[in-house]
Amino acid sequence: MNFSVITGNLAYLLWGTWPNGPLGGAALTLLLSVGSAIASAVFGLMWGVSLAVARGPFKLVLTGLVGFLRAIPVLMLIFWTYFLMPIALGIDVPGILSVMAALSLIGGAYLANSVCAGIQGIGKGQWEAGLSIGFTRAQVLQHVVLPQALRMMAPSFINQWVSLIKDTSLAYIVGVGELSFLAAQVNSRTMVYPAEIFLFVGFIYFIICSTLDLAAVRVARQFQAAER
Amino acid sequence: MVLLNNFLKPEYLGWLWNGFLVTLEISALVIPLATLLGFVVAVLRNGSPRGAGVAATAFVAVFRNSPLLVQLFFWYFGAPMLLPEAWREWLNATHTAELPWGLAVEWPSYEFISGAVGLTLYSTAYVSEEIRAGLKGVAASQRQAAEALGMRASQVFRHVLLPQAVRIALPPLMGQYMNIVKNSSLTMAIGVMEISYAARQVETVSFKTFQAYAVATLFYVLTIAFIEALTQIARLRFPPLGGRR
Repeated sequence: MNFSVITGNLAYLLWGTWPNGPLGGAALTLLLSVGSAIASAVFGLMWGVSLAVARGPFKLVLTGLVGFLRAIPVLMLIFWTYFLMPIALGIDVPGILSVMAALSLIGGAYLANSVCAGIQGIGKGQWEAGLSIGFTRAQVLQHVVLPQALRMMAPSFINQWVSLIKDTSLAYIVGVGELSFLAAQVNSRTMVYPAEIFLFVGFIYFIICSTLDLAAVRVARQFQAAER
Repeated sequence: MVLLNNFLKPEYLGWLWNGFLVTLEISALVIPLATLLGFVVAVLRNGSPRGAGVAATAFVAVFRNSPLLVQLFFWYFGAPMLLPEAWREWLNATHTAELPWGLAVEWPSYEFISGAVGLTLYSTAYVSEEIRAGLKGVAASQRQAAEALGMRASQVFRHVLLPQAVRIALPPLMGQYMNIVKNSSLTMAIGVMEISYAARQVETVSFKTFQAYAVATLFYVLTIAFIEALTQIARLRFPPLGGRR
């Protein structure tokens, strides 16, 4: 094993050619993750609440959409957004945005299911109590049901974000210069130490993901303790 | 109408169909392998020798917390460099196994092997977690009752714990099998000619982006729907066994 290829390309792998060029590498991976994490939480909440309270055809359509997003590989959705977004919006969409859109949609679909389950898990009594003190349904949802449901869902949000970080590596396929793409680039340029390069890159992801993973376990324990 | 007039030529549909078959092939190979290995990892984590348990836990953490794409790159580009020269040559060459009755089976490409290995190890980590959760879901009183009847540890496991754990773990396991089918799409990055690879190829040659991805997407949706249907049937046929948990 010879890790000189890593030390020689460390800055490039961590933040690309920034500040002289565009931001890339691990820094872009983080940026991509944070952006998609926020957007997926917004989608997840929106769809999850709608799934829990909606009735009739709207619910059917939404269930279909969420089911569809969960049935296709992330890679396929990236192809779709990469190809469709410029047509739909009529402007040139940078690769990073189409990847972010795909990750947010898929992440949102997975979160929607747990948000919906979380809301349904809150007892009927809570709704009735809220309504009886004069809250509207929206107010009960906002002030009574959601705060309790979100607390239960926090670990599944964090778990979803862990898979989201891993999925940002798929941006490689449409040529966005995040960590995996730069690693593959360094690999094809040097062609001598592929094992070292991918072990190192895997290690960076591992550090980021396990930190979040530990946080999820912590949060889950705290809430369990709070319930007792 | 525009869509129908502009649909893909039979030649391109053939590429997509072959890609779909490769997706099915790699999934059909990875699913039993990951289940078997996942079972071993789960049992090792649930007690048994100290060192083995720690190793199994580390295995799950490492393979779950890094992207499949990077793992595939490692197996495809990196691992051969760590193998002896002679092995590498053997793996890269084509081989045909002569079976009786004049049948010949071609050894799969190096891309396919590294893709299958990478996907199997990655999925093993997830599958083992589901099996472990299933084993944990069996009430402690079940084991105690079986021990009180004088069963040996292996008998308790085989006749009491396992049948119940499998029923508990069945739905999440099927979910993991769906993930295996979906994740097989990443093997296109190392040149496995599965359906996503084929879709991209058709797109490049025919410029019919929409049609190419629509057909590939449809194949995925149908496969996932099929596994979902199997899950529902299995759930009805093998419901979790009664009793308090």
